[in-house]
Amino acid sequence: MVFSSLFFLCVFLPITLGLYYVIKNRTYRNWILIITSLFFYAWGEPVWISLLIISTLFNYYFALVIERNRGSWKEKASLTAAIALNIIILGYFKYSGFIVDNLNSLLGTSFEILRFGLPVGISFYTFKTISYVVDVYRRDVKAQPSFFKLLLYVSMFHQLVAGPIVRYKDIDDAIDNRVESFEGFNYGVSRFIVGLGKKVLLANTASNVASMVMGNNYSRLSVAGAWLGILLLSLQIYLDFSGYSDMAIGLGAMFGFKYKENFDYPYISKSVTEFWRRWHISLSSFFRDYVYIPLGGNRKYQMRNLFIVWFLTGLWHGASWNFVLWGMYYFLLLVLEKTFFLKVLDRIPAVFSRIYSLLAVLVGWVFFFHTDIGQALTYLGIMFGINTRPISSPEVSIHFLNNAVLIIVSVLACTPAASWIYRKIKNRNKENEAGIAETLIRPAINIFILILSIIFLVGQSYSPFLYFKF
Amino acid sequence: MKKLRWDSVIFIILITILGLTNLLNFNKPTVSVLENRALKPKPELTINGLLTGDYFRDYEEYYSDTFILRDKLVKTSKDFQKAMAFLGPGITIVQSVDDIQKPQENNLPDQSDKNIGNEDNDIIPDPASTPSAQPDTSDDTGQTGQNGENASPENDEMPERDFGDDPNIGYYLVIDGKAVQIFKFNKESFEYYAQILNKYREMLDDSVKIYSMIPPTAGEFLRLKKYAGITDSQNDALSYLESLLDKDIVTVNVYDKLNRHKDEYIYFRTDHHWTALGAYYAYVEFMETKGEKPLSLEQFEKIDLGDFLGSSYTKTLDKSLEKNPDSFIVYKPYTKHEFFKYDGKGEHKADVIDMKYKDSLTDKYLTFISTGGSTWSVIRTEVNNGKKLLIIKDSFGNAIAPFMLSHYEEIYIVDARFYNKNVTGKNIIEFIEDNKIDEVLFCIYMEDVNWHKFMSGVEGLLN
Repeated sequence: MVFSSLFFLCVFLPITLGLYYVIKNRTYRNWILIITSLFFYAWGEPVWISLLIISTLFNYYFALVIERNRGSWKEKASLTAAIALNIIILGYFKYSGFIVDNLNSLLGTSFEILRFGLPVGISFYTFKTISYVVDVYRRDVKAQPSFFKLLLYVSMFHQLVAGPIVRYKDIDDAIDNRVESFEGFNYGVSRFIVGLGKKVLLANTASNVASMVMGNNYSRLSVAGAWLGILLLSLQIYLDFSGYSDMAIGLGAMFGFKYKENFDYPYISKSVTEFWRRWHISLSSFFRDYVYIPLGGNRKYQMRNLFIVWFLTGLWHGASWNFVLWGMYYFLLLVLEKTFFLKVLDRIPAVFSRIYSLLAVLVGWVFFFHTDIGQALTYLGIMFGINTRPISSPEVSIHFLNNAVLIIVSVLACTPAASWIYRKIKNRNKENEAGIAETLIRPAINIFILILSIIFLVGQSYSPFLYFKF
Repeated sequence: MKKLRWDSVIFIILITILGLTNLLNFNKPTVSVLENRALKPKPELTINGLLTGDYFRDYEEYYSDTFILRDKLVKTSKDFQKAMAFLGPGITIVQSVDDIQKPQENNLPDQSDKNIGNEDNDIIPDPASTPSAQPDTSDDTGQTGQNGENASPENDEMPERDFGDDPNIGYYLVIDGKAVQIFKFNKESFEYYAQILNKYREMLDDSVKIYSMIPPTAGEFLRLKKYAGITDSQNDALSYLESLLDKDIVTVNVYDKLNRHKDEYIYFRTDHHWTALGAYYAYVEFMETKGEKPLSLEQFEKIDLGDFLGSSYTKTLDKSLEKNPDSFIVYKPYTKHEFFKYDGKGEHKADVIDMKYKDSLTDKYLTFISTGGSTWSVIRTEVNNGKKLLIIKDSFGNAIAPFMLSHYEEIYIVDARFYNKNVTGKNIIEFIEDNKIDEVLFCIYMEDVNWHKFMSGVEGLLN
């Protein structure tokens, strides 16, 4: 199921909230969450729910073995087995087709394997379970003695299918001891609506306009069209994905969970290094904590470690060479910045380092959005005037002017502008805690966004979040 | 804060009420009047549908398609989007709504089962019984992939090919209360058209005359100052085509004729077709090309059927079009005739000017010979001159056919999308020979010529 669907909003969510809050008992509430989450997953992916449960089962088992056999060979063996199994599952479902295709074209053979569609959310939940087992091994958290509570962690519908990659240690305590509060619920609703608006009002519209501006093949694309197109896609991917994270965090809060932030205004970064501290934080911190640092981090073989991390980051986004290329592109940029460029960026005026970072990211998205690398290069060629193309076209200026409001609002939504203004208003009446900002302005804006989003949703077709396919 | 804030309260109430009203709304619509299309029907619960997950996807689509007040909400969202374009130049480019909501082949519920293992292959029902299906006027406009599926009952007979459809097809330019399709010249498609007609020329006996008439679209006659160049020149496309056609295929130059009358009401503003007046000028040009004398317009009975909001409106849902509907005028032929349509179920009598649609706001174009969906049809007139014409056409041909009656003894009409060899037992060449047809007129409008998939249907008639 998708958060931004009318069925989720008007059927699944009210029923789940109703059942949850009618019951007071913690255990039953957890059961409600498990059952509704499994239903949420089964809706659309009914077969692979078995994989989700099996995956939870062996991770549950190995974590317990690790904890009960500290110091023994079984501890390390269980860790290895758990990680290996997780990676095998992910590898089989996500990469086997890709590997076989590449082997075949390399060796001229024609091996075949059984192919399945990618089970929704597998990239996210296998990373969650890996982090769980490793954290237990590292004694950062105790193994969960109840299978069902672990299943609750793995399957929780808020962050099951498209992240954030919540760590078990961050919600371990909340499973049994969370406190649902009105304050948390209000915050959750607010956050959810903001995410819904980002997705439905901005990201989906940006995506439609982008496809009209860019067309299917680029035979008629002008220079301005190429820039406008990639700008719109960049807005789309951020608003889509961060909107999803907002909704996940908001839903969590409605049920008493606190999830960490997944985005921190990445497009205002002053370097690519900073961008990756602000973009999809739960993924980059996963690679930092479970790959980069164990490999030696910046103490030994830093180059090799960086290379591996960025190769994997690229590959994680999809079984296709363009994602690997996209990862390698960032590897090069980050190495460049680490060796000397960060120092330069620090010294030049902030506006230049921002422009540089934004440009670097836009070019990155070109690789990200084109599975066909040749097409990506054509596109870049048009952007940078290598292919002789007209500067602009009537279509581009019509699209630009007609969507100027959308573009302005979307650009602002990528910056902290709104929350800055909100804080300004709020701080004007400090003595009165629940000032006009809190009691009137924010709720009114929320309701406006909610109603408008529902109206837009009715007219839009099924549009899954971009990160569903990862 | 010790209580729920009011936005949280409204949030809960709103989603609950919407959920409940949809639950209690037993009388779900099956057709969107606004978009003039069938809505997604409730999916049937099957094991296979459950396992593949199709059931769930279909159900969600059904849920949002039958959402309470859907048409009103859709319109509100369009109006809002339009209002947000206030910085724009007053021109909008709209992607055809088809891209957003796909009409499914099961929008023909009563007949859809029949095309499986059944010789009765007509899955396009009588338009009157399902106003949503509306095959003849809608199918050639939303030239996006799935429309082809919808439109080709003989799909399985057609070779599967990658046609590389022009991605710009299906875009509308909305300007001054008028919506026109944006034309993007696709060289290969025009070469393909020539190749197909030349093939007809080669396969048909020399005694059979072939005429090629390509109605341009209204976009050609817009006066765009600042944004000229947004649509390619259709005249250039036609000149290019002429150089490719066999010398023994006669081009009927409707372009120049229409261009001379471009200030008259020859195209609808809210529909992609020409008006009966536009079709009349094309008929005049056809007759003049053949050296015959056309009838004057006054000889026909003129009937005003009132307001019309056509395909361009339902595809764009633009307010400026809605506020300014077209008026729909038909010219009734006086020549005595009988009109028969043939499909898998046999022969049906029909009207050349079909008044069934006179009260429909959006389906009025079906008034013209209402031929959609039949494998072939024929008009038999009282004229005893032995002349027989075959019109191979898309929906543009529908409006021109009623003017032809006094010139032919028999007028055969074939739409490439609906012709079915299983019904006639012959390919189009045999069909022409067996019926002793001596003139073949191709009347296929610019965007269908530019659309490979449509033309491959025309080629498919030969097999």
